[in-house]
Amino acid sequence: MIKVWDPVVRVLHWSLVALFVVAWQSPLRSDLVHEWSGYACLMIVTARVLWGMWGGPHARFSAFLRSPSATARYVRALAGGRAPRYAGHNPLGGWMIVALLATMAVVCVTGWMFTTDRFWGVAWVRTTHDLGTDILLGLIAVHIFGNAAMSILHRENLIAAMWHGRKRAGGI
Amino acid sequence: MLRSAFITLGAGLLALGSAQATGLASCESGPQSGWKPKEELTKMLEAKGWKVRMIKPDGGCYEVYALDEKGERVEAYFHPVTLDPVPIAKK
Repeated sequence: MIKVWDPVVRVLHWSLVALFVVAWQSPLRSDLVHEWSGYACLMIVTARVLWGMWGGPHARFSAFLRSPSATARYVRALAGGRAPRYAGHNPLGGWMIVALLATMAVVCVTGWMFTTDRFWGVAWVRTTHDLGTDILLGLIAVHIFGNAAMSILHRENLIAAMWHGRKRAGGI
Repeated sequence: MLRSAFITLGAGLLALGSAQATGLASCESGPQSGWKPKEELTKMLEAKGWKVRMIKPDGGCYEVYALDEKGERVEAYFHPVTLDPVPIAKK
């Protein structure tokens, strides 16, 4: 087993999961809880983006963002049942990280805007926040499905790996 | 198996996430055809010095987002037939 996910990645990942669940479930119960869990999500997203630029080897965007053509090649290999195993994110997983972080940022920022006098009650801000949340939930479903599918395909437990950070040696 | 798990997961998340009535207030107001137009509520509130940002139906009431006469952000509910204010529980 080799160390893949550093402690920063893992702590940010699971605290984002927890705080997103709190933020998602709280809007009708407590404005205070909803707003502060949302701000915390935004801080985590910011920290993850910074860590993606200057963090550990597998955490960096430069380590896992592949070109569209390389990603398309990976998709064809996957469809043909010969997808290579990656130690870090595979190309689809890499783009999923970007999509999740970007959508989460949009939802957080529009939520914060709704607390300002300038944007309070402005319809497009609300619509973007709600629609963004639906898109985010869809992405999360695909993210979980993708990890479950790749865990089965490559006979490893990717969810546990995000918890303890270790993965089987080998892979690209 | 995976596919059905995925569909269940996705449908479940969407069902939980979709914006239905918030349950913050409910009004016995009948069909929307019998409601007073939003514009009338807007006019009434603007006469009080409010700046109305958005009015949408919620739980059979009109839900209003506005800045009140003191410039404070308010989320308030009104009965769509009588235009009386409807009290909501504090969140």
